[in-house]
Amino acid sequence: MTVVIGVDIGNSTTEACVAVIQDDGKVEFLGGALAPTSGVKGTPDNVKGVVEVIRQNLRTACRDLTDVGLVLINEATPVISGLAMETITETIITESTMIGHNPDTPGGVGLGVGTTVRFRELPECAAGTRVVCVVTSEVDFADAAAGINIATRRGVDVQGAVVQRDDANLIANRLDHPIPIVDEITLIEKIPINMSSAVEVAPPGHSIRTLSNSFGIATIFNLDADQTRIVSYVARALVGNRSAVVVRTPHGDIEDRVIPAGTIELSGDTGKLHVGIDAGASEIMAALRRVQPLHDASGEPGTQVGGMLARVRDTMADLTGEDRVEVRIRDVLAVDTFVPQEVKGGLAGEFALENAVALAAMVRTNKGPMRALAQRLTEALDVEIRIGGVEADMAVLGGLTTPGTDRPMAVLDLGGGSTDAALATRDGKVRSVHVAGAGDLVTKLIDSELGIDNLEVAEEIKKHPLAKVESFFHIRLEDGTVSFYDSPLPASIYARVVALTENGLVPVPTRHNIEKVRQVRREAKRRVFVVNAVRALEQVAPQGNLRLIDFVVVLGGSALDFEISDMIAEELAKYGMVCGTGNVRGQAGPRSAVATGLVAAHVQRIRG
Amino acid sequence: MTDSSVSTPVTLSSERSLALIECGNASIGRRNDEVVIGISPAFGNFFTKTITGVPHVDVLRELLAGIEEQGIQARVVRLSSSSDLAVIAQTAARLSGSGIGVGILSRGTTMIHQKDLARLSNLELFPQSPLIDLEMFRSIGRNAAQYAKGEFPVPVPPGNDYMARPRWQAKAALLHLKEMEFIKPGTQPVELKVEISARQMSARPVVTP
Repeated sequence: MTVVIGVDIGNSTTEACVAVIQDDGKVEFLGGALAPTSGVKGTPDNVKGVVEVIRQNLRTACRDLTDVGLVLINEATPVISGLAMETITETIITESTMIGHNPDTPGGVGLGVGTTVRFRELPECAAGTRVVCVVTSEVDFADAAAGINIATRRGVDVQGAVVQRDDANLIANRLDHPIPIVDEITLIEKIPINMSSAVEVAPPGHSIRTLSNSFGIATIFNLDADQTRIVSYVARALVGNRSAVVVRTPHGDIEDRVIPAGTIELSGDTGKLHVGIDAGASEIMAALRRVQPLHDASGEPGTQVGGMLARVRDTMADLTGEDRVEVRIRDVLAVDTFVPQEVKGGLAGEFALENAVALAAMVRTNKGPMRALAQRLTEALDVEIRIGGVEADMAVLGGLTTPGTDRPMAVLDLGGGSTDAALATRDGKVRSVHVAGAGDLVTKLIDSELGIDNLEVAEEIKKHPLAKVESFFHIRLEDGTVSFYDSPLPASIYARVVALTENGLVPVPTRHNIEKVRQVRREAKRRVFVVNAVRALEQVAPQGNLRLIDFVVVLGGSALDFEISDMIAEELAKYGMVCGTGNVRGQAGPRSAVATGLVAAHVQRIRG
Repeated sequence: MTDSSVSTPVTLSSERSLALIECGNASIGRRNDEVVIGISPAFGNFFTKTITGVPHVDVLRELLAGIEEQGIQARVVRLSSSSDLAVIAQTAARLSGSGIGVGILSRGTTMIHQKDLARLSNLELFPQSPLIDLEMFRSIGRNAAQYAKGEFPVPVPPGNDYMARPRWQAKAALLHLKEMEFIKPGTQPVELKVEISARQMSARPVVTP
């Protein structure tokens, strides 16, 4: 009888499982454990994590280190991955032609067109002139309303108002004749005076119709075709707003500038291809498919993408201690995304959603350090260490312990840094592939698209379903159901969007509503995991034909996610595959497949 | 540049006057688009300004403006039975159709409360009365109204000044003792009609930026 431990060192977690092998070859598993991986996987830094996980596992299995005859570690797949994200467009307003921000509470409803006039100059306006009143923060709301009422009674046609403070409704409620009012214009002194302008406020729940339409603006300001072409950027930037102000200045302009994003060079088996980053993610991925397998990727120096890939390369060189010339990027995943950014030259802190591209790159590293790691582990534990086998083969063996599976079977290992696929054919051969992009990229996308700027919070959003706290005694879950509480919820989460974590309800620090957060979360997962599942399986499937795979077992930390496996299963069902989350040893769920596979492979070897 | 451009309006407060007309015992509101402001026993009658001299008429006007800007209704009630801010704010919340109430003491200490919360809990508390200016009272009104709408406003930063305590504690204690003299134990909250006299346009100073 011997006690063996299988240890799987992953990108983010190290997993172990203890088994007793009887002399007749019967195996009894005594449970598993997991701990965070220390250092980059496959390097001697891992020792700390491995020792920790073995200690933990032996404690739960009620065994002692001296009982252990053998520790099996995997030939860690020498791939690590990096991320980069870069915006490729920016919106700049030169002179103040438009105020496209969305104050929470604009006042009045409708469209007003007139010349801009300062509030204190309103008494000097002649009767019959059409004006838009500019109210700065020194003016009290009651005085502003009174002043506008006096002017209107005198016959001045006050068509609308723009206000610096959050006063729009307060003024509108005090007017004899309601006019559209846009407020919270922080830099109001920059609004040009004596220029023709238009103010539009849509009813609640609607968005503006005239100022978001190029021909609407052209009609108001009598523009010719060339001018309309210029103004189309303004209109586009205002789409979807509830309120807007457009001021026509002689030289005003708004640019939607494309930052020189550069091209990415993909060199592979079938040659080299250059793709512009601004062509978008689908073009990049199509080019990648044409040159596959990829040997290296590089960006045009001096451009955004050049910087991105250089950063990935530098990080990898730092982590592995290799020369940065030696670092080869073996796969990339490009994802279209958007980043909310403040508009340059805006008057009210307007934000525009700028296009961005996120790139996950995967680097193959030198295999050398594994021996060094085994050596160091032997010293630390004083137990025989054996490098048990290739990670992908082990994952398949572990995956096959899931009840109801059989060869030919594919496993999808959804990790933090990379998505791996392996296919075991009926004759026992295993083909495997690693593609870039997994859980970390999803976290990054959620973080930037919601503008959270805190990866830990983004991670919570990724992992848990959402709810809205509607009162101190009930919450509405994202699927619309309600759950009630007997004792009041804490005041800190009242009325907030929360994530349903193991540690209770955690508030999500965002102003977005629950539907928006949910949509961003699911979309990020779809663009990374569903895309990668198909991409990886295509590379291992016989003749690249997904219909020739019968079973797909989803494994890895990200397979524990509450929706990713379902999203993948839904997509793969189109190809007639049976796809589901693995249940290693019939009990460990999608975790611990490689560790279990190591033990299983060892048993196969001793049985001969 | 930004700082000066969004300053508080030039209001010569003495020009406005406040009339609080009692109209019977306050009842529980039926409409859920309202916020109830509860004021302490001596607010706006014996006392007319906060600890730092901000006139009560302007305090109430800004709270009401913050609520109105959000499209929410406001009611004002006076509690004469207690000068405890938690009691005042919680009572206001329980009278409010939306369950959201604001409590305020004569010296300016303010709290946003919700009817289901324990008395000593709160949604937002502004404990250092000397730090609350009119801009903040407007924001407190705005946030209370947003809670009533089921939105989740960013809490108003309550401010913290370590010198506030040594500098103002004695005065705060005196104001509190004085306010306690106006407590009439066992009385019901009273509904108030708020009349804020408009300033005379002619008397308005010419505002030059």
